Amino acid sequence: MTRATRFSALPSLRAWLVVLLAAWSLLPLVLLVVISVSGGWRFPSLLGADPGLDAWRSLRQSTGRLLPALYTSLGLGVGTGGLAAVLGLPIGRALSDLRGVWRFVGAGCAFLPVAAPPLALGVGLQYSFLRAGLGGSAVGVTLAHLIPALGYTSLFFLGVFAVFDRGVEAEARRLGAGGWQTLTRVTLPLLRRPLAEAFVLGFLVSWAQVPLTLLVGQGRVRTLTVEVLSWVQAGQDPLAAAGATLLVIPPLLLMGAAALGFQRAQVVAP
Amino acid sequence: MSVLEVEGLAVPFGHEPGLREISFTVGRGERFVLVGASGAGKTSLLNAIVGSLEPSAGRVRIGGDDVTRWTVNRRPCVLLSQTPLLFPHLTVFENVAFPLRVRRVPSGELKERVEEALAAVRMSGYDERRPATLSGGQARRVALARAVVSRPPVLLLDEPLSALDATLKDEVRRTILDLHADYRPALVMVTHDLAEAGRIGDRIGVLVGGTLAQVGMPEEIFRGPATLEVARFLGLPNELDGVVEKDGALRVGGVCVPRPNTGWSGNLGTGPDCGRRQVRVVFGPDGAELAAVGFTSNDGGACTGRVEEVVHRPDGVNVRVRTELGVVELGVSPDRIPAVGRDVALRLRAGSVHLYGNDAGSSGGRSVPS
Amino acid sequence: MSSRSGRFGIAAAALLAAPVLVGALYAAAGALGLVGPGASGRPSLARAVRVLTEPTVVQGTLWILWVAGASTLLSGTVAGGIAVVLRGRGKLEGLGRGLAVLPLPVPHLVAAVGGLLVLGQSGLLARVGFHAGLIDGPAEMPALVYDPLGVGLILALTWKEVPFLTLVAVSVLGTRGDALERTARGLGAGAGDVFRRVTWPILWRGMLPAAVAVFTFVAGSYEAAVILAPSDPLPLPVLTWERFVDAGLARRADAYVLALLGLGIAAVAVAAHEIVRARLPGLDGGSQA
Repeated sequence: MTRATRFSALPSLRAWLVVLLAAWSLLPLVLLVVISVSGGWRFPSLLGADPGLDAWRSLRQSTGRLLPALYTSLGLGVGTGGLAAVLGLPIGRALSDLRGVWRFVGAGCAFLPVAAPPLALGVGLQYSFLRAGLGGSAVGVTLAHLIPALGYTSLFFLGVFAVFDRGVEAEARRLGAGGWQTLTRVTLPLLRRPLAEAFVLGFLVSWAQVPLTLLVGQGRVRTLTVEVLSWVQAGQDPLAAAGATLLVIPPLLLMGAAALGFQRAQVVAP
Repeated sequence: MSVLEVEGLAVPFGHEPGLREISFTVGRGERFVLVGASGAGKTSLLNAIVGSLEPSAGRVRIGGDDVTRWTVNRRPCVLLSQTPLLFPHLTVFENVAFPLRVRRVPSGELKERVEEALAAVRMSGYDERRPATLSGGQARRVALARAVVSRPPVLLLDEPLSALDATLKDEVRRTILDLHADYRPALVMVTHDLAEAGRIGDRIGVLVGGTLAQVGMPEEIFRGPATLEVARFLGLPNELDGVVEKDGALRVGGVCVPRPNTGWSGNLGTGPDCGRRQVRVVFGPDGAELAAVGFTSNDGGACTGRVEEVVHRPDGVNVRVRTELGVVELGVSPDRIPAVGRDVALRLRAGSVHLYGNDAGSSGGRSVPS
Repeated sequence: MSSRSGRFGIAAAALLAAPVLVGALYAAAGALGLVGPGASGRPSLARAVRVLTEPTVVQGTLWILWVAGASTLLSGTVAGGIAVVLRGRGKLEGLGRGLAVLPLPVPHLVAAVGGLLVLGQSGLLARVGFHAGLIDGPAEMPALVYDPLGVGLILALTWKEVPFLTLVAVSVLGTRGDALERTARGLGAGAGDVFRRVTWPILWRGMLPAAVAVFTFVAGSYEAAVILAPSDPLPLPVLTWERFVDAGLARRADAYVLALLGLGIAAVAVAAHEIVRARLPGLDGGSQA
């Protein structure tokens, strides 16, 4: 950037904005941690009258409610993310092959599960899931989460394949690679990063999901979000705060990893 | 009087020295073309003139004002970049009107001038079109209209004809020349294409090695490249080692060429004109000719060799001959093409070879009068 | 398009659309009284008409549209401001953008819980106010959650959506803004003109699709509303849930009508966006040559 192209705002304004942003973004998250160790967050105490790890202790107990919920959420997230990435790739690619008016139809179809409110979707689909014997099971909930997740990853891969140079695959074919070899030696290595990003996308959709879990899980599949919701409604602040803190950690770790990977990719790129 | 004066300009490329000691002037109505290989810093030089790159030394004057410290938008010059960007959210009309709107030109006059500019680039009737619906050539013409609509006294064009096919190139070139003839700004155009430079430039500046190695009329540059680097940039295919004797004659291997009456073209170096000196001998296909097919004796002006390759080109036929001096490429008459493998004798044409002393030309920094 | 790859594409599109269409068709059948609890076997619009004209439903729908509109506008403005002020490659700017984007992967539920704990009657703000001597007890804290205007919900959703819109705004300005602004400056535009004629139009057009996505998501979102919204009016998503789990079988079927309404709002938002996009220049495609 040179003198002539720089935006000429006051630097102190920016510094203040950054401080404000730090408070805005971090305060609620820090507060969750504080309340989770407050041992009962009664007015007007700021940090809690008798700090302790009671809320977190249940994390160590397999009979507690925190740990099983964490495992359930992680399992569903990994399952949904994996399936959404693996299925989203061929679906996104197939959509990117469409031409003319069909291309819009295809993108529109992928947009449906993303735009449809999960609650409305769950209300309409609950009967079908129950009839199929999928109600109250982790498999059923994974499939339910997969509906919006697959919409997101398909749209994501539609974008990826819009700029993916098919010529590379054609070149591999011309150099004697078969279909499988082209896939495993050229296409997939090139798409390793988008695949990882699609997994994260699917994981996050499942991780944050509430209504579909409630409607298809029938109260028997108790994810962390479902538990936190019930603790909040029951006024169990420290437990809810501990659960909410747990809900924040994996997404932030994943995003941090993605950001690191992005920086590394920038270093490698010319 | 000069409209644009660039004086001792230096533009670093990151941590590298970049451009140094760039000085030239362009008068009203003059067309000045900067040529240089890609990466020579042509675009950086334009950006420094227009103000989007900060020079580390030197001055830019426009119409007598020192604009070196002026912000981009205040400078009375417009740069049409190599890939001009039209504003995607504005119509063609509003794109062209943009420079007038920001100058608060009243709407009646604005409309008139935009229509005039669109007519000048033969884009009348496209007023309400969106940039996304234009072809590449049309978009370029609209960008050209937008660049000239405010009649900037200095117009800078960065490779305006690159990446266009031949028909479009002719069309855009014609438009540029018409516009220039119409309101006669000081025009600076940058290109890597020598033929284009020769067609458009009243004068040409050759940018090599970070400096303006030579400035002159096209024929001066093509016929008398001032430095070895300029000669190499011109793409002359032959470069041999030689010696200039005390009497001024050139000896290349066993071949001796007497000094022409007008003196040698090139730059023999800065030292006193005495003694033998090592030189690089550079020449194009016209710098040598076949003496006589089958000629074998050595009268001092010719050497022998064997035809290795016949190169057919749109503008003539060249043969590549392997001689004791090295491989020499020279032009031959199309109706007397020697066969490959044939022994031939060839002669250097004193008036068409360029000599550069080993201590001259490579450092440069000065434009050397030819 | 070769016919084979075209068939794959259509099959893929059908696979994605199928669950939504099945859900919508089942909800439509339920709304008409053909299936589900309280089904009469004969199609009738009576239930749909009754539910859609119920004041609770009308108010709950308008309320969630207000919240979605307000939080979209607010987060869009904040995000656009961040992108404009914190531009460039400076360390401070990068840090600021990083902080702004930080809540991106945080679930909506957590944003709502955070909103409750900060803004609630006995939340952090109330406690700080108490210690500062501004209020004497939780009762004096102005209602920011469960409030009829939805201030707490709007703020929590804004906190959650600013990161996404900031990313979009930064990328809009980064990919096209810089070059277009340079062009404008080169054509003689001063800072004010550059912002008014180039930066701002480019920015809002580039952010529009993302803003529509945010609006649609917020209007249909259940978990934040159920934590922070008042019980009167009950926002449409919460109302849908309440009816669906109602002990009375007849009221359960109302949820099908409400689910269809939710799907309809999403469809209208997406369709409106497509229409605007087709009409407005420079929303996509854009610059060539």
